[in-house]
Amino acid sequence: MATTSKQYKAIGEDLWKGRTEKINAELFALTYGALVVQLIQDYEDYGEVNKQLEKMGYNIGTRLIEDFLARSGTGRCADFRDVGEVVAKVGFKSFLNITPNVTHSAPPSAPLPGSRPASTPAPPLSAVGSSFMLTLDENPLAEFVELPEDALEGGLWFSNVLCGVLRGSLEMIQMQVQAEFISDVLRGDETTEIRVKLVKYLEEEVPVGDD
Amino acid sequence: MSHHLFLLSPSDSPLYSLTHYSTKPTPSTGSALSSNLPTWSTSAFAGTLTALSGASSATQSHHVQGGGVRMGGGQDRHVIQMIANASLDVIEEVMRKDNAMYLKSVDKFNEWTISAFITPGNMKFILLHEAKNDDGIRAFFNDVWELYVKTMLNPFHTAHTSIRSPVFDTRVRASAKKHL
Repeated sequence: MATTSKQYKAIGEDLWKGRTEKINAELFALTYGALVVQLIQDYEDYGEVNKQLEKMGYNIGTRLIEDFLARSGTGRCADFRDVGEVVAKVGFKSFLNITPNVTHSAPPSAPLPGSRPASTPAPPLSAVGSSFMLTLDENPLAEFVELPEDALEGGLWFSNVLCGVLRGSLEMIQMQVQAEFISDVLRGDETTEIRVKLVKYLEEEVPVGDD
Repeated sequence: MSHHLFLLSPSDSPLYSLTHYSTKPTPSTGSALSSNLPTWSTSAFAGTLTALSGASSATQSHHVQGGGVRMGGGQDRHVIQMIANASLDVIEEVMRKDNAMYLKSVDKFNEWTISAFITPGNMKFILLHEAKNDDGIRAFFNDVWELYVKTMLNPFHTAHTSIRSPVFDTRVRASAKKHL
């Protein structure tokens, strides 16, 4: 009954094809680029710009998750590993038409003593601290971009809005995560990678079943 | 054989310039006058005269010492820029009549021919060259145009400011090597 990787890919593909309102990629890239440049002019501090991009992404993510769940109809993820698969193969595919590669890693230390109430229908199998890494081969946000030297020195993560989206959307489904860029081809690195680490599961607010 | 490329904004301010020394064999054209000049000459006047009379640094290099050529090089630069600027009038004239983007050779100065390419956004690409190479130059101009458009799409680039991107520079040089 567990959905396989191929099935996720197929779901993502269908969602992308079925979407009637798509936007021109160049317009999208140019709009985002103009946004980042304007933020840089306004804040003049690259760390602050990174934070603002992440905040904007967070706001987008909190709303985006509703759209995603409504259209995709994927069920509850069995564990955090599954979350990573769905995010990469269904989420990114249906919104940006890219499929980043996912690599999973276990939490660094022993899992915390389980004291979560077993009221959730599918108790999370992965422990706090596990993470997955998304490797993007292409980034539609950064199509024509070349960073100037001071942006490189200042530590700008151009597509930081994606980290915010991941954090916002996963928070709405009761997972508090930390998403950050590890490397970026715009900065001269080999690959563009985002690491998403699970911080904790949030208290279930929605009543489960019929008590 | 050397080529000089200049990219000018619609207000005629130079945004980018490149000098490219082609390794392709060139038909030697009318360099009789230059061979009369002493090759050891390092005076400023002689440098300018050499440039004006058409001694090109690459083809003469086998019997001109490197030092002599380099001394004349500084003067060459001014002459080249003068020639390029002088051609702007001719280009504007031709521009009004001819709607095509690639204006073949608009001007000639001693042995330097000037070819121009006007983009739809009124950017002028000017190439000073010695030999005739219409197809190569047309292909080169088209390449430069594509690279220029891509640079314009970079959000960090302000329109009509000088182009300092190293990627653009590398790619233009590669294209020059390929076509010229």
